[in-house]
Amino acid sequence: MAKEVRSFQENIRRTFIRFSIVPVAAVSMAVLIIFAFSWITFMASSNEQENKQVSAEITDKLDVYCKMVDKISSGIKRDKFNISRNDIFRILYEDTSEFGDIGNLIVMSPSMKALFTSKDLVPAFLTKKEYANWGVWNVINAYKGQTRITLYGGNLCVAKGIYEDGRLQAAVVYIIPKDVMNGVISSQNRYILITDKHGWVYSANTGRLQDEFGQINDTISSSVGFLKLDGNLYYSYRTALQRGLVVYTVNDVNRSVHLIWLIIAVIAVIFIAIALITFKSTAVSSAKYTRDIKKIEDAFEEVQKGKLDVKLDISSSKEFQIIGDDFNEMLEGLKRQIGRNKELAENVAFSQVKQLESQFNPHFIFNTLDNIRFMAKIDATSADKMIVSLSGLLRYSIKEVREEVTVKEDLDHLQYYLNILQIRFNKRFAYTIDVSEDIMDCLIPKLLIQPLLENAVKYGFNGQEKLTVAIRGYQMQEKLIFICEDDGAGIDEELLEEIRRNLREDTNTSSHYGLYNIHRRISLMYTGDYGLDISSKKDEGTLVRLTIPKHISE
Amino acid sequence: MKKWGIAALCVILVAALVIYIDWRGRSYAVEEEEKLVVVSPHPIEFMIPLIHEFENETDISVELRSCGTSVAIDSIVNRKDVDIMWGGSVLSVGPYLDNFYQYETPNKAEYMDVFKNEGSSVTCFSDVPSVLMVNNDLIGDIEITGYADLLNPVLKGKIAFADPGRSSSSFEHLVNMLYAMGNGNPDEGWGYVKKFTQQLDGELLDSSSLVYQGVANGKYAVGLTFEEAAVTMLKSDKHVSIVYMKEGVVSTPDGIYISKDSDRIENAKKFADFMTSKDAQQYMASDLGRRSVRKDVESSSLVVPRYKMNNLPVDRNKVISEKDKWIEEFDRINKEGRDG
Repeated sequence: MAKEVRSFQENIRRTFIRFSIVPVAAVSMAVLIIFAFSWITFMASSNEQENKQVSAEITDKLDVYCKMVDKISSGIKRDKFNISRNDIFRILYEDTSEFGDIGNLIVMSPSMKALFTSKDLVPAFLTKKEYANWGVWNVINAYKGQTRITLYGGNLCVAKGIYEDGRLQAAVVYIIPKDVMNGVISSQNRYILITDKHGWVYSANTGRLQDEFGQINDTISSSVGFLKLDGNLYYSYRTALQRGLVVYTVNDVNRSVHLIWLIIAVIAVIFIAIALITFKSTAVSSAKYTRDIKKIEDAFEEVQKGKLDVKLDISSSKEFQIIGDDFNEMLEGLKRQIGRNKELAENVAFSQVKQLESQFNPHFIFNTLDNIRFMAKIDATSADKMIVSLSGLLRYSIKEVREEVTVKEDLDHLQYYLNILQIRFNKRFAYTIDVSEDIMDCLIPKLLIQPLLENAVKYGFNGQEKLTVAIRGYQMQEKLIFICEDDGAGIDEELLEEIRRNLREDTNTSSHYGLYNIHRRISLMYTGDYGLDISSKKDEGTLVRLTIPKHISE
Repeated sequence: MKKWGIAALCVILVAALVIYIDWRGRSYAVEEEEKLVVVSPHPIEFMIPLIHEFENETDISVELRSCGTSVAIDSIVNRKDVDIMWGGSVLSVGPYLDNFYQYETPNKAEYMDVFKNEGSSVTCFSDVPSVLMVNNDLIGDIEITGYADLLNPVLKGKIAFADPGRSSSSFEHLVNMLYAMGNGNPDEGWGYVKKFTQQLDGELLDSSSLVYQGVANGKYAVGLTFEEAAVTMLKSDKHVSIVYMKEGVVSTPDGIYISKDSDRIENAKKFADFMTSKDAQQYMASDLGRRSVRKDVESSSLVVPRYKMNNLPVDRNKVISEKDKWIEEFDRINKEGRDG
């Protein structure tokens, strides 16, 4: 799978996102988890701790009451069942002083008569005869001589029968003041229920978690830990006391669970907000931070397109500034180099042109001087004319330092050459010149047409009696076309190929200077599809065509 | 890859949390103790002291479910975990006796003779006579001694009566009426029923509790209810009085029914024994206003002793077999009275 190469900006943006959102997510998740861990630990352990603490407190109190009942019982037994009110009250006050309520201590005879009561109040369940084997009396009878704690009709009673010779002589019943027990649990901030071992609630700091009978809810009494009740979640712990009571501590976890959900929701919202902001801001900031990269990229693209006059202006950060400055410097250098190269190339081209221009001279001059020598013997007038023409031509070629001349100028000076040819070949050579008047002011390279004539003569008179050359010049679109056509012997196919191949070379490798030189000059001077082409047919003639761009001197 | 590492770490953390919560908050069941599941239509205040004492004496924890008679019957017949139905008159439970465990409590020897003849599917628990309950403040000079007095035009619309199709105590009153006003032949009693329904002014209550509460709260002057409810109202200092119909009082026992499917038959037997024991019956009679089935227990001072009432015998088999027919007939007459 080929991995798509992302842009630098995208990478920067992803990096931003990765290093902002991911850590935030990880941290908030870790915080949540740690929070949940510690919350559960704290909640459960504090619940258990409080349960144990309440249990211990209640056990302590029950111990105090039981010991007190034992003390009073043994006192009664010692006094042979003569009740001494003072003794009992003394013990009562001594032992309950810290609780602020002496409670109701009742001494009953076996016939259910109250022998002593500390509060002048004897509950019906001790005196009425239907209770003889019911409730508290039942406990006294069932557990002979033992100090028992029993819950009857909402009263927590410490009961003890005093037996002598296996017979019940008296019973001591102490009704524990409810406020003392309530005081243990009311100040707590979780639900605490004290029940007997069958689940009948004695004291509770809530009206909840009990059924309509006043029994603790089955779900709570039957399990410990997290439990669900009426759609609410609780955490419950229980301790069964030695004395037959059970202490339940129950946390209402609902609010905490709601709180946790709320925290999760808030964190989620914050997280989403952060994510959105990051997403948005990374788009902006990554674009900002990579703006210089973009600039550099654009600059390179411009350069690639050939525009060298771009300039990088970066001031945002040092590194990019250095890159930008270096780029500018490099581009400047490149531009300088290119300029120098161009200049150099121009110089080279110029000197080449000059050299090429000068190449026509030796051959032509030798031929013409030969002719003049010959003519001087037979026709002095023609010889004179030839000398004039030759010197005119030479002057033209030497004098004209300008590279380009007008068509008219060149044609005028071509006349010198035509004169020489006319004299040389006399009637055997004929020519026509047909150049449009409207291109007369256009600029062309000096001595452009002369090599064509020279070429026509060179190949045309191959066994021919007569040669006619037609020179035509006209404008076609933005080009100037010059055609030199003759009806001479034509050029061999082989030779023609060689000439054409030679024209395509950068340097001349043959002895066909004329055509090559003119073609080379044109292609050095003008860039584009300009130059010379040649076609010829054996015994029918040759056609050379020049194409150059049309331009006029300013 | 790094990304997978982070994801794995997250998963591990979450898993650890879940395991921790599970371990920390595992709700382990507290050791199962001896227990008994009881359904009962009895009033809650009536049940609490008896159940509490039963638990203390036997160390069997009772799971108590309070509901109406028909729901109680339904749950003991159809639900596996219910061991005992406590309460429900023999008349209304009669058709379902096949679903109950046969048990003869040793206490049966001490029963009054009238209750000794019941089959062993039912353990008779108490005697519940039908009574009229009168609001002393509202009744004025009108003397109510029996059914005949209810036809007094002044009382029209002031009589509380529940739908016999829904309330078992109302059905027992219907039976009582038919036998009492038909002079022992229930088919003769419909003439009175027709006049009686016209006195109701078209109003039938949905449950028996609305009857005694309605009278106690003064919404009605007189109501047709059962003795224990009236005694409970008396004990809570409502200005009401109990009238035993001079035409005759039908009194049917209610019972304790042990489910045939119970897994805790032994505990259920202990329950039946305890509830029919002398101590429990004595306490019930003295403090809760309920008539004992035992010979050796004295009635509460609030109720008239059985021998002073005009006891009316009924053919129980006939009542059980005609129950649906009679309820239908009552509905028809009541509707006719209302429309006419």
